[in-house]
Amino acid sequence: MASLDDLKKTFFDECDEAMQQIEIGLTDIRSGEGNDETVNAVFRGVHSVKGGAGIFGFEQLVGFAHVFETVLDGLRNGSLSATSDNLDVLLSASDVLSDLVQMSRSGQEIADGFGAEVRSGLEQIIEQGGGGGHGDGDIAPADFEGLDFMPVAVDLDEIAVDAPTALGQNVYEITFRPKAEMLKKANEPLYVLRELRKLGELELTANSDNLPALTDIETDVPYLWWHATLRTEATREQVDEVFEFVSGDCDLTIEDRTPAPVAMPIDVPAAMSMPTIDAPPLAPEMPAAKVEAKPAVAAPPAEPAAAGGAGRTKPAATTTRIELDRIDRVVNMVGELVISQAMLGQIVQDLPETTSMRLIQILDEVAHHTRELKDSVMSMRAQPVGSVFQRMPRLVREVAAKTHKKVRLETHGETTEVDRSIIERLGDPLTHIIRNSVDHGVEAPAARLAAGKPEEGVIRLSAEHRGGRIVIEIKDDGAGINSERVLKIAREKGLVGPDAQLSEDEINNLIMMPGFSTAETISDISGRGVGMDVVRSNIQDLGGRITLKSVRGQGMTIQLALPLTLAVMDGMVIKVGTQTYVMPLSAIVECLRPSRGEISALIGTHGMLQLRGEFVPIVLLGDLLGIGSSAAANSERVVIITDTGEGSRIGLVVDELLGHQQVVIKSIEESYGAVPGIAAATILGNGRVAFILDVEKLSELAVHIPVTNNATMKAAQPALN
Amino acid sequence: MPVAGAIKVLVVDDQNSVRQMTRMALEEIGFRHIHEAENGVQAMETAAVQPLDLIISDYNMPEMDGLGLLRAVRGHPVARKVPFIMLTGRGDRELVVKAAQAGVNNYLVKPFTSAILRGKIEQVIGKLS
Repeated sequence: MASLDDLKKTFFDECDEAMQQIEIGLTDIRSGEGNDETVNAVFRGVHSVKGGAGIFGFEQLVGFAHVFETVLDGLRNGSLSATSDNLDVLLSASDVLSDLVQMSRSGQEIADGFGAEVRSGLEQIIEQGGGGGHGDGDIAPADFEGLDFMPVAVDLDEIAVDAPTALGQNVYEITFRPKAEMLKKANEPLYVLRELRKLGELELTANSDNLPALTDIETDVPYLWWHATLRTEATREQVDEVFEFVSGDCDLTIEDRTPAPVAMPIDVPAAMSMPTIDAPPLAPEMPAAKVEAKPAVAAPPAEPAAAGGAGRTKPAATTTRIELDRIDRVVNMVGELVISQAMLGQIVQDLPETTSMRLIQILDEVAHHTRELKDSVMSMRAQPVGSVFQRMPRLVREVAAKTHKKVRLETHGETTEVDRSIIERLGDPLTHIIRNSVDHGVEAPAARLAAGKPEEGVIRLSAEHRGGRIVIEIKDDGAGINSERVLKIAREKGLVGPDAQLSEDEINNLIMMPGFSTAETISDISGRGVGMDVVRSNIQDLGGRITLKSVRGQGMTIQLALPLTLAVMDGMVIKVGTQTYVMPLSAIVECLRPSRGEISALIGTHGMLQLRGEFVPIVLLGDLLGIGSSAAANSERVVIITDTGEGSRIGLVVDELLGHQQVVIKSIEESYGAVPGIAAATILGNGRVAFILDVEKLSELAVHIPVTNNATMKAAQPALN
Repeated sequence: MPVAGAIKVLVVDDQNSVRQMTRMALEEIGFRHIHEAENGVQAMETAAVQPLDLIISDYNMPEMDGLGLLRAVRGHPVARKVPFIMLTGRGDRELVVKAAQAGVNNYLVKPFTSAILRGKIEQVIGKLS
């Protein structure tokens, strides 16, 4: 049986769902998308929190939820109206309720006056509507005082006689008296009764009147006989079959006592109707899953043994809760499986071709299944981003209130799914970006009106799957980045040289440099020393990419492109010198072996590759990683064009491409520490450890390694000839 | 005298935590045959295949609420006499009047202790042994 703590945990999980329901509902109502059912859903959400909180003894939660609920009840029955002022109070109330839930969950002491302001706001609304329906949040009495209600007593036996069965069941009265012949033929009455029991619910009385004293008992004489009432969906024929082999050797009576079918009263609405043998058509609003289950109830089952089985009394659940730890364990095992399978592939490759042909075929299948298994397990861990998005409306409200701005948040694609590990680490960067958008992006109402924009700013938060990644976009219609000011500050802080020529985009990206903060007044909202650089490194730690676009006067768009999972990824295995590395496939644009004429020397660079009319800077990966040049034949070398995420590309020169492989990501930061340019490690098919490269970081390093006498270019050029 | 262990009871509530708490209270009293349903529709599906001696249902549920369930039960050819106890919030006074009109046997204000639950059940089906 579940412990009280388990139940509390269940309750708080339900609270999270309810809070989401409340928040979404209120937002919908505010934006004019709500209807009666929306109000009902919000009411039910608050009601659930209140009900559970009462049972588990969270009195402050109950008290607040009660006042909140009263207002919603007023909205529901029309005694109160959903004015914009009232909705503001309700939204604040949902924030307070959410805080109370969190505090109750963590066992925190809740101060007496917590949320008092909002509470009095709610009480004022109740007064507008004429005092509301019911009293304050005192402890529940066992009975409503002064209510003229008398419990209606019932005799259970009477019910049993009156309604012996559920619909579709037959009742048989059976007497069964075995004769001596039956035992002589080695037929056991017990087995017959057991068979009978399988048909349904059996009430069995043994009659032992004929039983002699122990000393007089003869072993081959049946002294006992039975009277049985069988409630079953089985037909008379099926009951007869049970006695088929013994009917000649016993006295048997079977009487059909099935009650005559009672007509369905006309006033029962269709949705409430019961499945009967001549059931009316199901109401269209019945969910499909339930419709499927119905025929089994109406028609006698083909397998009589299944009748009365406990499994059928409860409709099949479509979801089940599983502890995350268990799923994580499966994910880890799948990871190991991917490695083992890669090792197996390696061994098979080394076998003589005659032996390996069939093995390779089978191995291909195993690889296919492993991939599918991986995908299914990953989808189990996937969660909709809505759980992170859900926290944002409140944030926008709070920051907008503090900065005296009017901001509306629109969200799209909340159902887009991504691995839980990503979701968990998405909250902070997203919070920061949105906070920035409200605080720095969207202008004050007066400034907006002066610029010919609507008073209310809009921040659009959206998510979608794109090319095996999840792309999250935060777009505001604010002032955009003041690039002159950004450049000025960057120069003052020495982040860029005094005469560096930067494009508009490059300037805008400076705001993500460490130590950059442009807010003229450091507000207590955004300016706490953590800036966009932290956001950027958070996203990069996740294997993601952040891009920023800004149009002066029109707003800013920040795009986060993240992998769908952190456990397994598609990689390109490459060789540099004697070392093997893995490069994330998602970072690779193309691989090529350029001819001599396509490489140009350009002062201040490591070399430029001319690619379809565009110049791409190149750098030797061996130099970047500090392992020196390779031993491989120069003509074998390959340039991998990678996308650095800021719109510019870079070519990394490597010795050899060994092939594409799914690799399991193993963090090295936990056991060793962060190494610039190295994202993680993995185990290859040959059992050796290889590093997974952090391409973005490498590109940054490439820009910063000094160019001395064009040494790199000279080294690269023969390599590419 | 009815025996708690022999009574088939159905607990209807959309909140799993509340269902489990009610179940715990019922088990404490001595009930052994406890079925659960998440809303009125599920409850009626259960009643279709499972003879019941007692229904304890929450009022506020999606799909079909407690009052809807009560009316469906009372209109049902077989289950119509099954005793029905409605769980209500402390503010649902008017609801009790409606439920009484619809034929509820008793009501119970949440939150409750197992002793109160027992008392409410006994008021309906007699002293439990």
